[in-house]
Amino acid sequence: MSALTGDEARPRTDPDRAGRRRRVLSLERRAAVPAWIYVAVPVIAVLLALAAGAVFLLLTGHSPFTVYRVMIQASFASTFGFADTLVSATPLILTGLAALVSFRVKLWNIGAEGQLYIGAVCASGVAILIGESLPGWANILMMLAAGAFGGMLFILIPAIARAWLRTNEIITTLLLNSVALLFINWLIFGSRSLWRDPAAGQFPQGLRIPDAAYFPRWGATRVHLGLLVALLAVVAIWFTLNRTRFGFRMKILGDSESAARYAGVPVRLMVVAVLLLSGALAGLAGAADVGGFSRRLDPHSLAIGMGYAGIIVAALSRLNPGSVILVAIMLGGVRNAGTALQSLPERVPMEIAVMLEGAILLFALGSEVLVRYRIHWPWSKGPALESSTPQAGAT
Amino acid sequence: MNETVLAMTLAAAVAAGTPLALAAIGELITERAGILNLGVEGMMLLGAVTTFLVALATGSPWLGMAAGALAGAGLSAAHAFLTISLRANQIVSGLALVIFGTGLSTFLGRPVEGMPLPRESRLPRMSIEILQDLPLLGRVLFQQDVVVYATWIIAALTAFYLFRTRPGLSLRAVGESPATADVMGLRVNAIRYVHTIVGGLLGGGAGAYLMLARVPAWSQAATTNGIGFIAIALVVFASWRPWRALLGALIFGLALRANFALQAAGVTFVPAEFLAMTPYLLTILVLIVLSFSDLRRRAGAPEALGVPYAREER
Repeated sequence: MSALTGDEARPRTDPDRAGRRRRVLSLERRAAVPAWIYVAVPVIAVLLALAAGAVFLLLTGHSPFTVYRVMIQASFASTFGFADTLVSATPLILTGLAALVSFRVKLWNIGAEGQLYIGAVCASGVAILIGESLPGWANILMMLAAGAFGGMLFILIPAIARAWLRTNEIITTLLLNSVALLFINWLIFGSRSLWRDPAAGQFPQGLRIPDAAYFPRWGATRVHLGLLVALLAVVAIWFTLNRTRFGFRMKILGDSESAARYAGVPVRLMVVAVLLLSGALAGLAGAADVGGFSRRLDPHSLAIGMGYAGIIVAALSRLNPGSVILVAIMLGGVRNAGTALQSLPERVPMEIAVMLEGAILLFALGSEVLVRYRIHWPWSKGPALESSTPQAGAT
Repeated sequence: MNETVLAMTLAAAVAAGTPLALAAIGELITERAGILNLGVEGMMLLGAVTTFLVALATGSPWLGMAAGALAGAGLSAAHAFLTISLRANQIVSGLALVIFGTGLSTFLGRPVEGMPLPRESRLPRMSIEILQDLPLLGRVLFQQDVVVYATWIIAALTAFYLFRTRPGLSLRAVGESPATADVMGLRVNAIRYVHTIVGGLLGGGAGAYLMLARVPAWSQAATTNGIGFIAIALVVFASWRPWRALLGALIFGLALRANFALQAAGVTFVPAEFLAMTPYLLTILVLIVLSFSDLRRRAGAPEALGVPYAREER
């Protein structure tokens, strides 16, 4: 076909083309969103993801019923199982909030992962330096502050570059994740740093933080102070978003940057402040892991994608602080169940949990469209053909 | 550093840069259509494990490579469906691909974790007759395997396609201004679908190449090792131009290999982890420098990158 009479030069009114177009699915914006949609859509998404997971399990020779039953038993059906689910959910609430505050203003902090690591580095460093010289509660407060500070420090350069130079924060924060991972590996495996246990022999590991700095736990369970911190953070973020001038300015900035500028919002400072807040929340998650869970700087315990999972949490919660808790508990349960699966006689790989997490996100994203649009499938007949057939003015 | 060490280091850098270049050119094609796919790492991992399994079962590296590329294309097709047809957020969808791809490939690769590929199902070296005898350059460039040469050809074809053909012009139009392209009569969504999937083919192919030529054994943690993320940065670094992506991949390949070269030369005062950070920090630095305004205009990011297109909301 010669270049000039190429297919794309043909006019829209060509009957052949119009016929072809009809086979593509089309979307129609909902005039009003019925309330039940908000509940039905996420539930359907999770069920579809579980169904997709079941297909994979069947194909690889596992019984989906056994796997799902074990997962539910391990994560939700017993007190201790549910307690462990809450432990897994704790960092996810915080990283979910970290993603939420930045996504609200259409800033894309993908670096919660790295900010979490650096938060953990600062928190464990402070705990080790303080040692037994302060009472436990003071040490814990210092750790939390250090964690938040570390997260902020690690997003500072992307934030300033975004605010003043409009440097794409997606890429800078994403790349810093790898830098942070290399950095904690160096602290523990590649050097004789403050963080490394000098007594550890062949297998280097982090130095334990002093007993006084351990986060208090709830009874005999492993639920720790971090959960309380995370829940307080949810309340604080809800309050900030809905009841303060800062939150109001975030809303304007999220809707339209130019509107914000005309309204006298200091856009650059807001960008920096929101990103720092996001980094601080991710850093708190790191401090919670150190103080409540691993009690040392432990790259293996940190580098399990809690920062990336926070992005899922934020997306599934539809950027709603309250829903973050529910979504984090659900994903925490999925993650927590991974370890239980390995103890099954048939040795189901625990990675099914990670896969399910990704599948839930993919289906949730896909079904999100149902909230805003009605779908007209290619095989259904309906009025949507109107909106997708070319208008006369289009050519 | 004597000449042999130099030649070996440079040759290794060319080979190390090849998967980066493949993945970056794929991402570049996708982004030129206005679709940001952050899932390169996931597509590479799934491509790598598929390649491993197929090459192991059939004994043929070529079948393995084809299967790996198709696996990458499959994941990118999911991204295309979510972001183009269902108008989902491209950033979140891309990261979902990373998580899903990582989980799926670890799951599939579990039985063969740590297992090496037999020699006959790896890529053979293919020297180019006359050119390989060139001093230094011959060692560096022309004693590689066939995928290295194929990557140069792909870069050339992509550059030709983008800037010298009519479909390439259409592609750029769709990435710059989908509304205008639509009025011109271009099928915006179809063009976006095709180029997102082509990007996935190349991303999966990059993973396949890693598996067949670069890493000794399948290992979820060590096969891609963040290369997919560097590839995304490389696209910005290359300001969306194929030749610059190839060149950038060589520079990054050198940074990735500098570790071993410096260790061989007895330089130990810089820890290996810090050397490994250089490609990332270098990219961030370049991004920031590129952001100074007059440079940015020349940088040429597609105007509609990351923006879903809905005709009725134009």
